[in-house]
Amino acid sequence: MSVTFKAITTENGKGLFHLFPALCKGCGLCIEKCPVDTIGWAKQLGAFGTPVVEPGHGKPCIACKKCQLVCPDAAIWIERRDGKGRDTSLTAAPEKHVQHK
Amino acid sequence: MAIAAQPQMPRVWRAETKPHKFCPGCGHGIVLKALGEAIDALDIQERTIFGCDIGCSLLSWDFFNLDTVQTHHGRTTPVLVGIKRARPELVVVSYMGDGGAYAIGAQHLVSSASRNDLVTIIVVNNTVYAMTGGQMAPTTLPGQKTETTPYGRDARLTGRPILGPELVAAIAPPGAYVARGSIANIVQLKNFIQKGLQNQLEGRGIAFIEALSSCPTNWHTNAAATWRFVEKEMTAYFPVGELRTPEEKPSGRFQEVPPYES
Repeated sequence: MSVTFKAITTENGKGLFHLFPALCKGCGLCIEKCPVDTIGWAKQLGAFGTPVVEPGHGKPCIACKKCQLVCPDAAIWIERRDGKGRDTSLTAAPEKHVQHK
Repeated sequence: MAIAAQPQMPRVWRAETKPHKFCPGCGHGIVLKALGEAIDALDIQERTIFGCDIGCSLLSWDFFNLDTVQTHHGRTTPVLVGIKRARPELVVVSYMGDGGAYAIGAQHLVSSASRNDLVTIIVVNNTVYAMTGGQMAPTTLPGQKTETTPYGRDARLTGRPILGPELVAAIAPPGAYVARGSIANIVQLKNFIQKGLQNQLEGRGIAFIEALSSCPTNWHTNAAATWRFVEKEMTAYFPVGELRTPEEKPSGRFQEVPPYES
């Protein structure tokens, strides 16, 4: 991957909530799909000058990754804090970390 | 050396063109995520040709790291069928909106289905002509308000919404794969698209997948109302599921005609 995106990482519940403000357009689809209502609007602004999302508004995150799946812009990545975890991809592709100095 | 978190995009996506050109909340991003995951799963990135149509779907022209062609309304299918006939080793994906596929370019879809062409067609149905400002499309639901039906679509004047997969399933010869998915169930949609690509790889015939999608910009809905419309109202009229699978036995009306191979 030739480009990199900066993440805002929030620890919440069982997951690390990585949010990429350069990708988030503030559509709110993830807020509606969250089963524990932990996602809500943040103060930070995203790609279109609209608020981005953050966890910590309802019950703690259960790392179900529904928000990651439903995001049309791939702006969310949920990492499980216990390290194990189901595959991040629908197709069990290996996780892509980008190493940089 | 720090390991920084990066977005989990399908490998076939082009990261340098992101954020993509679609509106916030647009279903195209979710359908293209499912398509990207399906291409990744089959590992066919090197030999896939992606064709996009006129309408909002053309905004996907730089979406993938694939050879891409953009054609006129509904002509994506015949253009890609031509590519497939000239280079049978390639995999062609025709990506259209409901306006291009069912209204302006419907004849190409019908002809392609009756010829049982080796092509995977994905039609994104969001019930409006989104790029031109939300006018009534053939798939607009009865009573739905659009720019050109401000009092709601009157089915007595303008007919009932077109059921695309049912139309293709009715005319396609045996070997066809026809399904309707929804952005509300992404894993199922990805499996439908993957089966459609597999159908083409195995040379059995046409694959047609309709994806129910959202258009918050032209529906004038917030996130909650968008999901409600997709999951409740659209699926009530457009049932989600597989309509034709290549395993089923051919009915008596069709003779066994294998798909064209050069």
